[in-house]
Amino acid sequence: MAILEATQIHKSYGNKFNKQEVLRGIDLRVEKGEFVSIMGASGSGKTTLLNVLSSIDKVSLGSIKIEGKDFTGMKEKELAEFRKQHLGFIFQDYNLLDTLTVKENVLLPLSIMKVSKKEADQKFQQIASELGIYEIASKYPNEISGGQKQRTSAARAFIHDPSIIFADEPTGALDSKSASDLLNKLSELNRKINATIIMVTHDPVAASYCSRVVFIKDGQIYTQLNKGEETRQHFFNDIIRTQGVLGGVQA
Amino acid sequence: MNLNYIIFRNLKKNIKNYYLYVFALIFSVALYFSFVTLQYDPAMEEYKGSIKGAAALGASSVLLVAIVAVFLLYANTIFIKRRSKEIGLFQLIGLTKGRIFRILSSENLILYFSSILIGIFLGFSFSRLILMILFKLVGLEAQATLSFSSGALRQTLIVFGCIYLLIMLMNYMFIKGQSILSLFRVVSTAEIRVKRMSVLEILIGLLGMVMILAGYYVSSILFSGKLTGTTELFATMIFILGSVIIGTYLFYKGSVSFIFNAIRKSKGGYLSLNHVLSLSSIMFRMKSNALLLTIITTVSALAIGLLSLSYIAYYSTEQSARHSVPNHFSVLLPEDAAKFTQALNGENIEYTETRRDVIQIEADVAGIVGSDLGEEFGNTMILPVVSDHQVEGVDVSPEETLFTGSNNALNQFMSLRSTGQIELRGLTLSIPQQLVGVDKDAVVSQYFSLGLPTAIVDQSIYAQLAQDLDPKLQSKSSVYIGIDIPDASMLGKADAIFHDLGFSEQSGYMSQPALIFDQKSSMGLIMFIVGFLGLTFLITSGCILYFKQMDEGEEEKPNYTILRKLGFTQGNLLRGIQIKQLFNFGIPLIVGLLHSYFAVKSGWFLFGTELWTPMVIVMLLYTALYSIFGFLSVLYYKRLIKESL
Ligand SMILES: Nc1ncnc2c1ncn2[C@@H]1O[C@H](COP(=O)(O)OP(=O)(O)O)[C@@H](O)[C@H]1O
Ligand SMILES: [Mg+2]
Repeated sequence: MAILEATQIHKSYGNKFNKQEVLRGIDLRVEKGEFVSIMGASGSGKTTLLNVLSSIDKVSLGSIKIEGKDFTGMKEKELAEFRKQHLGFIFQDYNLLDTLTVKENVLLPLSIMKVSKKEADQKFQQIASELGIYEIASKYPNEISGGQKQRTSAARAFIHDPSIIFADEPTGALDSKSASDLLNKLSELNRKINATIIMVTHDPVAASYCSRVVFIKDGQIYTQLNKGEETRQHFFNDIIRTQGVLGGVQA
Repeated sequence: MNLNYIIFRNLKKNIKNYYLYVFALIFSVALYFSFVTLQYDPAMEEYKGSIKGAAALGASSVLLVAIVAVFLLYANTIFIKRRSKEIGLFQLIGLTKGRIFRILSSENLILYFSSILIGIFLGFSFSRLILMILFKLVGLEAQATLSFSSGALRQTLIVFGCIYLLIMLMNYMFIKGQSILSLFRVVSTAEIRVKRMSVLEILIGLLGMVMILAGYYVSSILFSGKLTGTTELFATMIFILGSVIIGTYLFYKGSVSFIFNAIRKSKGGYLSLNHVLSLSSIMFRMKSNALLLTIITTVSALAIGLLSLSYIAYYSTEQSARHSVPNHFSVLLPEDAAKFTQALNGENIEYTETRRDVIQIEADVAGIVGSDLGEEFGNTMILPVVSDHQVEGVDVSPEETLFTGSNNALNQFMSLRSTGQIELRGLTLSIPQQLVGVDKDAVVSQYFSLGLPTAIVDQSIYAQLAQDLDPKLQSKSSVYIGIDIPDASMLGKADAIFHDLGFSEQSGYMSQPALIFDQKSSMGLIMFIVGFLGLTFLITSGCILYFKQMDEGEEEKPNYTILRKLGFTQGNLLRGIQIKQLFNFGIPLIVGLLHSYFAVKSGWFLFGTELWTPMVIVMLLYTALYSIFGFLSVLYYKRLIKESL
């Protein structure tokens, strides 16, 4: 069974007289354990797509199911509950609370789930050592590097075993070394605990870590690439080629 | 897009944001205008308390202006900082600084002067009400009529015009001193700096609490008789003030984060949302507002304290008058009593007369004085002594003495015990007596007792002492004559007669109604002034705290976005915010209340006889009004949270 199933999603901004249709009928299926990236030119609607898939924004038309549950008709409270239980997020600008330490930031999603303190501690130890942030647990965000911040953000996304993790340009603000560190960790977690990850990126290198790349253009899916048994270098070349065909600004 | 359009747009936007500022401005103008109107009003001539009404109002209107000016200028610094980005943008698109200054000035001009006009209008409408409140408080039965005073109008316009010029000057300096770049930076430098607690901070935090507690402790023994001499008392008061104020500053600077940090540490990194929103935010922010909070706390403590004390005095008026003279009227000489009763008869006013023979006796009180003060005067006092036959409901055996009419302040100073061994001394005799109790009700007037308790002894002892008097100690009269008017409605008339006979001027001649009126009118005026000044301070400082919260909320808005993305509902966040505001407004309030509680407690007995009722009423009122601002800030946050996703 697909873990995420989106059918014919449309999204427009503006009012009746001045309407901008950003998404025009997108169908997307993601299976458990997939690591999918979404690519496209700047302004093509990648963030918009991710936001509606992750319930942060509402679709204008269409339905989205996660683990068989359609949430497009849900009320704000239900939606929040849904996000809390099923989803994890990593953002380009980290979105850490700067008044909380690394550990406090990471454990935040657990605090509303009535997890015992002991269990929370165990979980933290596990995920933090996996992502290499255990040593900085008691530091504040302004005391650590961008790469560490993003790994903290990733730890927060993984801590409560969500069904899907959404990442919007997670490497966008990182230098290439920190970026590849993070991507290695993500694909490791993807393999090890069979986590499902959907990542928006405009960086072909980042996309080459994934198992599938979805290209969008003019609000529709232009094409998809499967990594299959290819090497990462090979896959990277495929991505570059497709991007070239896609044309326009390669942002 | 012309200049007028920009001004109009800004104005519309700002009014929505700063309705509280406009409200506070209107309120202050209205109050100021009323005060000045009263001051200029001929009705104030009628008011002849022991304090000059018009002068007191004039002085307090100066204080009022000082509070309001500080508030307006401070609020303006908050606002101009918030708008620095907009100002930078104007500069970026090529407006000159002069032009920007003109935009700001005209915008302010419209907002400011329309508030002032509304304020003056309201002030005039309410000045009659305010005058009525004043008359009621001071017990004056005059009709409250007021006419519009052009002098008051002129003074109000001039004063607030000057404040406007000051604000403009401030804006001018601000704009002039900034380059485009620095304008963009203002907001980011204001951001909080998250830092780990250092040892120094922990020490500061502990020191703050110790200093406050030390101040409280010393205040509780200030008037207990351990300290004697005015310089010593004065130095101690300075110490208390300094210790508490500095302690308060350190408390905000360190103790709050110290305590919150300790709570947070105990959670081991596993914080609930409520903790995230309240603890972690306040921990870092209260520090940066330490000075402001200290000022607000200190002045509100002062306001609550003064108001409580004057209310205590006002509230205890009748009791203290009864304490000064137990009957409605008292005259010294029997022939004057005859004159008075004759006059009363002439007006058909019923009366009852009480006579008590009083002798002045030296008493050795070493056995009942707890403080060192006793030794200063050899542990003896000159007490009025009365026979138990002459006091209704009292019967003591020949070995026993009952003290009555003791004064609160005196008890406190001397730490008088209510039982113990004393000795009454005549010229030759020395009679040991067992003190069996201390009652509150006076039986002779202050003329005889001078604030000391009256000793009631058995008739036989009284007779012995009366035979053995030390003539040097006796007063002009040895009989206390009290006259009561059973019909309360005749009391005023009787007082007029008493006054007409010229008794009110002479020492030893006392009138309860006159005493009550005197104290009510002076305490009423003080309460009126302190009350309104306190209210103004409350409203302006509440507004400042609210504006600070607006800034804080604006800065924390991204956090709410993150939290909502993570799946926390608006309801979750709002609950956390409510807790945060409970601390944000509650901590300064509780510290202020505690300060004033200890201040009042240390010296209230000098002002009256009832501590709790007046103090609690004042504190409840203050808390209720203050809570409004906390409540409004929660509403503001609610909107912010709603908009954050
Ligand atoms: N909240 C919004 N209101 C109106 N238009 C929006 C909003 N968010 C995005 N858009 C528009 O939708 C388009 C796609 O934006 P986005 O999804 O952010 O692109 P991408 O992330 O691919 O760069 C853009 O043209 C943008 O102007
Ligand atoms: Mg984007």
